Amino acid sequence: MDLSVISINFKFMIGGLALTFELALMTMVGGLLIGVILSIARLSPRPWLYYPATAYIHFFRGLPLILVIFWLYFLSPVITGRPIGAFPAAVISFIVFEAAYFAEIIRAGVQSVSHGQAMAAYSSGLTFYQTTRYVILPQALHNMVPALVNQAVIIFQDTSLAYVIGLREFLRRVNLVDAREARSVELYLFAGLVYFTICSAGSLAIHRLEKRRARSC
Amino acid sequence: MIKIKGVSLWYDKKFKALDNITETIQRGQTVVICGPSGSGKSSLLRCINGLERSQEGKIFVDGVSVQDPETDIHKLRSDIGMVFQHFELYPHMTAMQNITLAPIRVRHKSKREAEEKAMELLERVEIPEQAFKYPEELSGGQKQRVAIARAMAMEPKTMLFDESTSALDPEMIKEVLDVMINLAREGITMVVVTHEMGFAREVADEIIFMDEGRIIERGADHSFFDNPKSERTRQFLSRILI
Repeated sequence: MDLSVISINFKFMIGGLALTFELALMTMVGGLLIGVILSIARLSPRPWLYYPATAYIHFFRGLPLILVIFWLYFLSPVITGRPIGAFPAAVISFIVFEAAYFAEIIRAGVQSVSHGQAMAAYSSGLTFYQTTRYVILPQALHNMVPALVNQAVIIFQDTSLAYVIGLREFLRRVNLVDAREARSVELYLFAGLVYFTICSAGSLAIHRLEKRRARSC
Repeated sequence: MIKIKGVSLWYDKKFKALDNITETIQRGQTVVICGPSGSGKSSLLRCINGLERSQEGKIFVDGVSVQDPETDIHKLRSDIGMVFQHFELYPHMTAMQNITLAPIRVRHKSKREAEEKAMELLERVEIPEQAFKYPEELSGGQKQRVAIARAMAMEPKTMLFDESTSALDPEMIKEVLDVMINLAREGITMVVVTHEMGFAREVADEIIFMDEGRIIERGADHSFFDNPKSERTRQFLSRILI
């Protein structure tokens, strides 16, 4: 064990976390947005909304993320005739892919609220919008928080896949240091520790927040 | 007044839940509907406030058509209170918030006004001390009394009760029935789906027996219990009036 390899290259490797966070945050925001739209379509009784959304979700949930990244990076220049940068390619494929998962989490959350709740709200004269806003969504959101946190953690870890198209996020930088220094054991233990710390701190913080919110409301 | 004319309802185009129902309920009357499960009692209630759309027939509540697309269905529903078998209190809100949600959002009352009225109602159902508790902290009987207060907060002209005591422990049934009896005596139009025949005897102006989506028999209190005309009614009554 020679931990000096870590301290010497610490700044360079940790610097990659900025890109990791950037990728993860953009994916969460974009994925959630598209996921909300997809889930609304999937919950809709209208077939022209329901079927395309359902097909989309099944399609992307049936593929490995790394394949989607490859496709977008290598196929889109063939189709559009223009090369695509590694960063936009990664962000777009993450968003497109994760949206399918977010959509299913949101759908399950909404469906976890019993139909009787909507009945009670409608019977008191509330409109569809008011029923959704005041009765269904607060309960649905509460029910879906654990799954959303879980998905956020997965996204954070999955950003490391961006290395396949040459993005220098955190894991890729560790990888580069290893290529030069040949200290795989130390370096990858360090990488694991960093991922573990960030992910568990994140879930713990949200768990605490959720507990406090449950008490106060 | 509720006018129901030749109403039929199918589920999934196959199962006929209501078969040509005709019935008039005068303002201030209390009508009790009984019958075996699956006989269409709850479906009929849900047709009255448009939660269920009947494919045939017409329903008018205080002269307003329920099915007419021109009707403001939200306005119509806000004048009809409904109480459910499984309470359907909003679990993320206190009793107080449950009661004030619709008055604030639908009637545009101020929060203060709505809360004063809610407190009054909670006193009437005798649980003012539970105002700031969440549904999960309340007993079944207390939950149902909050649900009744929630419906009353809209000052409805009509109240629908859908088996509102059948999910309760026996010793809690009375506290809910007492509240309902008081309401009936105050002159609100009430349609009550129940098997509580004691309640029916005490306050019903009319009792309807339904089976397989049809009204089999109707009667005013004693004649209904003492000499039911149809064999099916007799059979049913003999089973529930032990």
